[in-house]
Amino acid sequence: MDDFLTIINLFLIDAWFAWIPAVGFAMVFNVPRNMLIYCAVAGAFAHSGRFLLMHFGMPIEWATLLVSTSVGFIGLYWSRKHIIPRPVFTVASIIPMIPGSYAFNAMIGLMEINTGGYSLELMQVVMENGLRTLFILTALSFGLALPSILIYRGRPIV
Amino acid sequence: MMLSEEAQTEITRVAVLAGQLLHQHGAESRLIEQTTQRLGVALGAEQIELSVTPDSIVITSLFNGRCVTTTRRCYDRGINMQMVCDVQRICVMAEKQLLDVSQVKKRLKRLVPYKHNRWLVVLMIGFSCGSFSHFFGGDTAVYWTTFIASSLAMILRQELAHRHHNPFVIFASAAFVATLITSLGVIYEVGEKPQIAMAASVLLLVPGFPLINAVSDMLKGHINMGIARWVFATLLAISVSIGIVAAISVTGLSGWTH
Repeated sequence: MDDFLTIINLFLIDAWFAWIPAVGFAMVFNVPRNMLIYCAVAGAFAHSGRFLLMHFGMPIEWATLLVSTSVGFIGLYWSRKHIIPRPVFTVASIIPMIPGSYAFNAMIGLMEINTGGYSLELMQVVMENGLRTLFILTALSFGLALPSILIYRGRPIV
Repeated sequence: MMLSEEAQTEITRVAVLAGQLLHQHGAESRLIEQTTQRLGVALGAEQIELSVTPDSIVITSLFNGRCVTTTRRCYDRGINMQMVCDVQRICVMAEKQLLDVSQVKKRLKRLVPYKHNRWLVVLMIGFSCGSFSHFFGGDTAVYWTTFIASSLAMILRQELAHRHHNPFVIFASAAFVATLITSLGVIYEVGEKPQIAMAASVLLLVPGFPLINAVSDMLKGHINMGIARWVFATLLAISVSIGIVAAISVTGLSGWTH
């Protein structure tokens, strides 16, 4: 029971910190003001959902694919309801899951190789972080595109 | 319904204007293609064919075997989802026959890109990067270092963008400023792991929209557009890392977060 409460607590904290970047980046993309709330809801859902899946032992790439696919389907529903193109909601809501720290580490590693010379440990850091960045990014955008690939197949959504 | 040559030319111009607006404000290629075609057909053309390239669109309207072709250059005017929404809405209204050609044209010409209040954006971006630092395991002191660094970087980015600087220059200088400020945090040992702030504070410069558009364009068959967007996003990321490396070599720190 205690364990359960801790997880719920962590889950809620995660959701709270995830809606902020979703709305922040939605504002950079100039999403209309009345649509920001949808970005916040989907952003919080996506990041905390991934946290929960990873807590139960799912690898980060598959968890990302799963939640970004569900964001894609939620976006499908909202975009048909409000007659608004899907990327307006979906792209901002997955921004919190962009693998920034992995990309940062891979890049810094490359720079260290340049300045300090090649070593196996550095190369390991670069490869591991770089590959993880690549796969998470692909999972994110592939998941978002799935509804129109699987269901709409060339027909317009709105 | 018969179309005179002038009417067909007018339809082509209106359709290409819609496509150009979508292209300039960062819509994905499938959306540009579909919306332009639907708008042209709704206004009375038999068929609309278009080719979307990274910096221009070419569109041909067909009616009774007569073709009218026109090309528009598309300069990047920054991502603006509100413009994309509005163009899409006008297209849907034209499809329901609520608007005729002149009304569509008037409405498209009247669209002005809506911008959120810039200080509100700065505040939200500061808190966003702060949240990223929380996700990477930073404590409260690191949170506020990140907040200050990324807010200042965002102000610089807005100022430079307002003066129409090259995007690569903008991204490199914003990354330079953010890293410089967070390395002060490392030097004065603010918080538990001040290196986390160095990673989190540059995340406002991640080119998320071009990257996601690139993959979805390629998945939906617009390989050319996808590659162009991917290269653009990569170049932006490289300029960010040049900014970071420049700041790191000024302060002489290493940026490892673990």
